[in-house]
Amino acid sequence: MKVFSSFFLYAGLATLALGPAGCGGGSDSGGGDEARYAYVTNGVDPFWTIAESGVRAAAADLQVHADVLMPAAGAVEQKSMLEDLMTRGTTGIAVSPIDAANQTDFLNQVAEQTILITHDSDAPDSNRRIYIGMDNYDAGRECGKLVKEALPDGGSIMILIGRMEQDNARRRRQGVIDELLDRSHDPSRFDPPGSQIAGEKFTILGTLTDQFDRAKAKANAEDTLARNPDISGMVGLFAYNPPLILEALEQAGRLKEVKVIAFDEADRTLQGIVDGDVYGTVVQNPYLYGYRSIEVLKAIHEGGETGADENGFINIEARKIKKDNVEAFWADLKKNLGKE
Amino acid sequence: MKLTAFGDIFPKLSGAQSEGVKRIFGIFLLLLVVYVATAILNPNFIGPYNQENLIRRTSLFGIMGIGVALVIITGGIDLSLGSVVCLVGVGVPWLIMDQGWPPWLALIVALAVPLLIGLCHGLLVTKLRLQPFIVTLCGLLIYRGVTRGFTGDQTAGFGNELKGLRWIANGEIPLFPGFGIPFPAIILIVIAILAGIFLNRTIYGRYLLALGNNEEAARFSGINTDRMITLAYVICSGLAGLAGLLFVLDLNLAQPVDFGNFYELYAIAAAVLGGCSLRGGSGTILGVIIGTALLRVLRNMMNMAFLGFQRAEFAVIGAVILGGVIADELAKRAVARKLSAQKDRERRSKQERLPPN
Repeated sequence: MKVFSSFFLYAGLATLALGPAGCGGGSDSGGGDEARYAYVTNGVDPFWTIAESGVRAAAADLQVHADVLMPAAGAVEQKSMLEDLMTRGTTGIAVSPIDAANQTDFLNQVAEQTILITHDSDAPDSNRRIYIGMDNYDAGRECGKLVKEALPDGGSIMILIGRMEQDNARRRRQGVIDELLDRSHDPSRFDPPGSQIAGEKFTILGTLTDQFDRAKAKANAEDTLARNPDISGMVGLFAYNPPLILEALEQAGRLKEVKVIAFDEADRTLQGIVDGDVYGTVVQNPYLYGYRSIEVLKAIHEGGETGADENGFINIEARKIKKDNVEAFWADLKKNLGKE
Repeated sequence: MKLTAFGDIFPKLSGAQSEGVKRIFGIFLLLLVVYVATAILNPNFIGPYNQENLIRRTSLFGIMGIGVALVIITGGIDLSLGSVVCLVGVGVPWLIMDQGWPPWLALIVALAVPLLIGLCHGLLVTKLRLQPFIVTLCGLLIYRGVTRGFTGDQTAGFGNELKGLRWIANGEIPLFPGFGIPFPAIILIVIAILAGIFLNRTIYGRYLLALGNNEEAARFSGINTDRMITLAYVICSGLAGLAGLLFVLDLNLAQPVDFGNFYELYAIAAAVLGGCSLRGGSGTILGVIIGTALLRVLRNMMNMAFLGFQRAEFAVIGAVILGGVIADELAKRAVARKLSAQKDRERRSKQERLPPN
C-alpha cells in the first residue's frame, strides 16, 4: 500500500516538475482597458519564445494586458491551464490545441465563456471564432516541393516528427507525402504512420515519432540510417528534428550525402542551410502568430474587423528558406527576438 | 592488474552472490534472444554502424545505471537522476555559450554540483533519517525547476563550437574501417571496473552490501553506515551529472523542460533487471550494464524490425521484460525444487543405508 501511494506521489510530482512555464509572465502594459487576454501554446520551445515576443509587442502597441502560458506536460496540463484562465476571468484566449479532435467538447465549453481563437494548430470542429496560422497541409506540400528540388531524380525518404496527435503535425506530414506522390489536394487524406508508401519517384519509408524525447529523436535518425543505408533524404518536421538528424549524419560521416529537408527555424537548421548540409526549410511566422492573436482578440472584443475569411481563417503564409535567402531571414529573426 | 579488474566486474560464484549471477544469466539470455531475433528480422541490425550506436546509447544510460545501483544496494533509491541530467546537460552549454564562462570552469562546476547534490541527499537520508524516496523526489522537482528558472526555459546547445570537447561523447576509437569503439564506452568500462573493484574487492564495498542486507546489524558490527550510505548517494549523483554532460555533448541541444525526463526510471529499471534487489543488499555492476543494453536493444528493435508498430513500443518493451523476468523466476523455482528433491532423495537413501538400531 505504502509503495502504491509512494508511486502515485512520484508520478504526480514528476508531472508537476514539468509544470507550467511562463505563468504569470504577463506583459502588463497598463492602459485603461480591463480586458485580459491569454496566449496558450502547446509546449515549451524556442518557437514559442518568438511568438511570445510578438504577443509582448502587440500588448505594448495596443495597450492591453496579455499573458503567455506554455504547458510543459501535454494536453492534461493545457486543459487545466484553460480551466484556470476561465476561473480567473479572461476576456479572450488564443490557444494551440494539443489534441484538437479529442478536445472539441472542452474547447466548446471554453468558447461559451470567453472569446476563443486558435493559433498555430486549428480545432476545425470546435466553435472557435478564428484560426490564425498557416494551412499546415499546404505548408507540408511546400516542404514536399523542397524535397523534390533536393532530389530531382526521386529516392527514398524517412519522415521524423515529434508526435502525430496534433492537427498541424498530421496535416503537415500528409502534405509532404501527397506532394511527393503527386496526389490531388486533399487535406483529409491520412496514411498510417508505420506503412511504407511507394510512389512513382519517391518512396516514403515511414514516419518516426519521439514524443519530445531528444535522445529518442536522435536515435530515430540513427536507426533510420542503420536500417536503410541507401536512404536518399530525411525530413524533420518538428523544430528540433532537423538539428538531431544533422547530429546523426555528422557522426555517421554522411553529411551532404543524405539530403536533409527541414521545418521551422532552429539555429542549427539555419546554420545547416548556410553550410549546405540542409537543402531548405519551411518556416512559419510565430512572431506574427503572437502579434495577430492579440490584435484579433481585441478586435473581436471591441466588435472590430478581424480580416478573416468566411471559414474564420487568417492565413499567415509559410515561407521557404534556402541558401539564397537564409542570411536575410536569420538577421530578421534575431531582430524579432531582441538578440541583435 | 587488468585481469583482476576484469574479474571484479564478474562477481564470484560463491556465497550470497551466486543468486545475483543467476539473475544476470537470465537477463543475459533474454538480451541474447532479443539480439538474435532482431538480427534475423533485419540483417542491418548487426551492421557496424548500428552496433556503434547501441554501444554509445548503452554507455550513456549505463553510467547512470551504475550510480543508482550503488544506492539501490544500500536499500535506498534515487529519483532525481533525470533532473540532475537536466541540470548539468542544460547548465553546461548555458554557462559556456550564454554566460561566456571558460569551458574548463563550467566543467568543474558541472562535476562538482552533482557531488554536492549527492552529499545533501546522503546527509538528509542518514542524519535527518528522511526517506530516500521523498528526499530524491523533492530533488527531482527542485533541480528541474531551478534549471528552468535560470535558463528562462530556453534551449541550450553548443552550436558549432567545442567540437573537441564533444568528441568525448560522440567520438570513437577506430578499430577497423567502418567500426570504432564509441568513446563513452571507454568511460563506461573504466567506471564499471572501478565500481566493480569498489563493490567486490574493497572493504567498503563489502560494507555497502552488508548494510543493504541489514543496516542495523552492520552498524552494530562497527561499520560507519551513515558514511557509506552518503558515499553511495554522492557517487550516484556524480555519475548522473557525468551522464548529463555526455548526453548534451552528444545531442548538442537540451531543453530544460524535458531533457532527461524519466531517465531515472530507465536507470532504475536497468539496475533491477540486472539483479539489484530494491530491498537492498544485492547487485552486480555487469548486471546493470546488461540490463541497460537490453532496454536500448529493445527500443532499437522497434525501429529496425517493427517500424509499423512504433506506437506500441512501450507495451512491447514492458511485455518482453515482464515475460523475461517471469520466465527467469519460474526457471529458478524449478531448479530449486529439483535440487531440494535431489537432496531429499539423497537423505532418504542415506537413511536407508543406515543400519537399524
